[in-house]
Amino acid sequence: MTHLLLLAPVVVPALGAVIYALAGWRRATAWVSAASAALVLATAIATSAAVVNDDPHTVLAGLLRVDALSAFMLVVIGAIAFLATAATPDHLRTEIIAGRASSRTAARHCLLVQLFLAAMALAVLAANLGMLWVAVEATTIVTAFLVGQRRTRPAVEAAWKYVVICSAGIALALLGTFLLNYASQHTAPGAGLNWAELAASAHTLDPGVTRIAVVLLIVGFGTKAGLAPLHAWLPDAHSQAPAPVSALMSGVLLSVAFYAILRVKVIADAALGTGFARTLLVVIALASLALSASLLLAQRDYKRMLAYSSIEHMGLLALGAAVGGRLAIAAVLLHILGHGLAKSVLFLGSGHILQITGTSRIDQVRGLAARQPVLAGCFGLGVLALIGLPPFSLFASELGIARAGFTAGLGWAMAAALVLVLVIAAALVTHTSRMVLGAAPDGPGAATASPRMNVIAGAALVVGLLACAAIGVTTGPLHPLLSLAADLLAGTP
Amino acid sequence: MNALGVIGGVLQFVLVVAGSPFLVGVMRQVRARLEGRAGAGIGQPWRDLRKLLRKESITPRGTSEVFRIAPLVLVATTVVVAIVAPFVTTASAVDSVADLFAVVALLALGTVALALAGLDTGTAFGGMGASREMTIIALVEPTLLVSIFALSVRVGSTNLGAIVTSTLQDPARVISPVSLLAAVALVVVIIAETGRLPVDNPSTHLELTMVHEAMILEYAGRDLGLVEWASAMRLTAFLGLLANLFVPWGIATAATPVALLAGVAAFVIKVVLLGVLLSAGEVFLAKLRLFRVPELLAGSFLLSLLAVTASFFLAQPH
Amino acid sequence: MSHDLYVQLLDLACGVLLLTAVLVLWRRELAVIIRVFALQGLALAALVAVLAAHEGSIELGAVAVGILVLRAGVLPALLRRALAAAGEERRETRPLVNVASSLLAAAVLTLLGYAVSQPLVALAPSPATQAVAVGMTVVLIGFFVLVTRRRALSQLVGFLLMDNGITAVGFLTTSGVGLVVELGVSLDVLLAVLVLQILTTRMRATFGDTDLDELRELHD
Repeated sequence: MTHLLLLAPVVVPALGAVIYALAGWRRATAWVSAASAALVLATAIATSAAVVNDDPHTVLAGLLRVDALSAFMLVVIGAIAFLATAATPDHLRTEIIAGRASSRTAARHCLLVQLFLAAMALAVLAANLGMLWVAVEATTIVTAFLVGQRRTRPAVEAAWKYVVICSAGIALALLGTFLLNYASQHTAPGAGLNWAELAASAHTLDPGVTRIAVVLLIVGFGTKAGLAPLHAWLPDAHSQAPAPVSALMSGVLLSVAFYAILRVKVIADAALGTGFARTLLVVIALASLALSASLLLAQRDYKRMLAYSSIEHMGLLALGAAVGGRLAIAAVLLHILGHGLAKSVLFLGSGHILQITGTSRIDQVRGLAARQPVLAGCFGLGVLALIGLPPFSLFASELGIARAGFTAGLGWAMAAALVLVLVIAAALVTHTSRMVLGAAPDGPGAATASPRMNVIAGAALVVGLLACAAIGVTTGPLHPLLSLAADLLAGTP
Repeated sequence: MNALGVIGGVLQFVLVVAGSPFLVGVMRQVRARLEGRAGAGIGQPWRDLRKLLRKESITPRGTSEVFRIAPLVLVATTVVVAIVAPFVTTASAVDSVADLFAVVALLALGTVALALAGLDTGTAFGGMGASREMTIIALVEPTLLVSIFALSVRVGSTNLGAIVTSTLQDPARVISPVSLLAAVALVVVIIAETGRLPVDNPSTHLELTMVHEAMILEYAGRDLGLVEWASAMRLTAFLGLLANLFVPWGIATAATPVALLAGVAAFVIKVVLLGVLLSAGEVFLAKLRLFRVPELLAGSFLLSLLAVTASFFLAQPH
Repeated sequence: MSHDLYVQLLDLACGVLLLTAVLVLWRRELAVIIRVFALQGLALAALVAVLAAHEGSIELGAVAVGILVLRAGVLPALLRRALAAAGEERRETRPLVNVASSLLAAAVLTLLGYAVSQPLVALAPSPATQAVAVGMTVVLIGFFVLVTRRRALSQLVGFLLMDNGITAVGFLTTSGVGLVVELGVSLDVLLAVLVLQILTTRMRATFGDTDLDELRELHD
């Protein structure tokens, strides 16, 4: 039974990919994608229940392993994938009608998205660092063509930058992986790169080698998580990818890469003391926040605006991870889920806005509320969620990170971060209010398009926001899972 | 100073002084044949020298003593190197001078003297040649030092004789990455230093490209003869160093007639072989544009640096 | 195999690895760069083969053959195909840092690689770990090529150079990280190169060029 549960998140999307490869894009297959994501979500919830009541499981000769943290990440993947894939058929249909895509492109899109899901599930289920690396690099490969799907100049450019920067960054992580393997083979032969055994024997690792390995791993996976200094691919890729893919990339892919950093930090803390990884992460976090603040102020493209906001939130996650401790880690995990939900709603919404207005420039979108009340409402509320207003869960998690930070003696870093977050919030609200509020323009383009939103696509946005708000009010059934995962990462049960 | 060193010194002096014009002759002949010409024969450089040495030397108006002394300095430094370096025997006539730094400094001194003389003439060509030569030498000398230094690291001595001896004792050392990197670097700098293609073309007087020829444009008669002779000897010395640092076999280690004879024969064969290879290579090369030259030299400097780091960070056999 | 011979061959393979990395930085003709890259793949395979012979490991020997096929055969062939499609653009014309300066930069990178690998050598001194500095240097030079070159193909070679260096470090420090992971890594690299090759083709179709200076649409 557990075998089946563990394999399902990888196998189901892979089967979905096979279906798309064989059957192509047609009426019957349009919803296969969403169905597979729903299955992933269901198995994720079942796995979580199993993990809460039981010990971690390993299957496939120790290649896959699930503990509370993996189960939580699976829930994140499942939930956001469900939202994104539910909105996909409508998105693709509109694109095909507009002549920007063919049914072949649509089939390939769905196939790659399924593979993308499988790779991400594999990444969080991998029992060792090597498998995790392979899975994360696989996500780069399968999403490359999704980013470049439209084949326009900017799309090809974004895809090139995406693959080159991410592959180079992740190559650093591979080097770090090899070095960690070297250190572990030297002190604890046989442990290899297995998470559980590495964490258990981490205190014996040679500090000199581990230090280099940890820097490489954090910078390397940080590239994929969109953290400074190798963040340059993120705004381009997020702004050029089709909306559902942007939602997945921003909502889950970044978090999956961040998951790797969380795992590495456990080992780093045991081997080198908490100070080393903390300093590194604080520097990276503040750099990411400062960067996104400076580039958000004068942003002219709303998809890029959302992308920079993702960099901001990854920075906040890094800050939370730097603080460490149960409260901060639980807040970080909650933030991952909350940000994923809010950001995917926003990217899906921005996809609709793009399809309706035909432009991604902020100054060319005016009076959205008057034309598309539901869409504008979701977009506006999503931005409010993003800047951390209650009742959305990002309020609770940002508060948690800040409180833990001040308690842990990182007051100066937290103060700097808060100032930057305020600047970012101001920028986001200003840009968004310009788009959403005001009278509908009567210039050219205003009369051409105002199709009604597809019911299911609209429902995806509303459900996402509701979920984000719900976990903000109470973590409810997630609570035992979160606290177990936090125990796992904070080191002290 | 021992007997072997003294005999070797005398032999090397005779060989280099008398033989170097023949080396140039051989190289020109090879090149001529490869280009389908009959060639002037290998004795032609000697005939040229004889003609030049008989002529009166003329110094341009306004030049100082520097101009007159430069050829003598050039010849003197080269002759000292020819005597002390381990060409025919591993022992040296003046052991303390057969040092890496001393030899490189002597060779550089000659070049600098010539460059000063080029400046001293006050003509456009002399100045241009001198400035170009200085550009080249700024990268050549460090490379020369660093690459031979890489070889000396494992020996633990910068004495050239000691380096050659230790290579003789441990032949496997020749195929180590240190030797290979240093060899490539040395070949490049020797080509640059002796003014061969692709850095400089010894047989052209095209003002846009010449380096060495531009510096000595104002010399005539005896002085020109000395400069030409010294250039030939420098070429021989450089090729001899290259040969013996990497392929020292045949060099005399004892003062017996057979060993010395073998040493002389090995030296002549190695140097002539290298010269033939060099001139054959030149047939297929075009001259590099002047501002691409630093690129070539920076590359060879990098290689020599890699050789030194490799000699520190790679494991040594045994 | 005697210890001396092992060390000799190991050092030789490392020397070639380093030399080829420098040559990639040095030469401008893309065709030559690809040939040099293939030579480096050969050296890497030889390195692993020497380690395999030293440890008497058949599995490692098989890995060496795999590396030979992938890095000296398949990847260069892919690059050549990309180059053949490139038409006129066969030279790296204007790198961001000129060649002489980048060679001097490589000298600095060598020293950096040496410094970084000191803790690694200290952990378990042996001929193999002492050569780790070479792998590190190749990684650094590869990163440098990736950052400073403007032709798509040169960037690709830079990425692969990094990857060769990382593989060398991996095998010099330990004899691998498990077969499944190694296969996964190789497959990922191969696929990444395939993806990038297809992207170069598309870039040419949309830009008419693979000079990355053309990538100016997206910026803030």
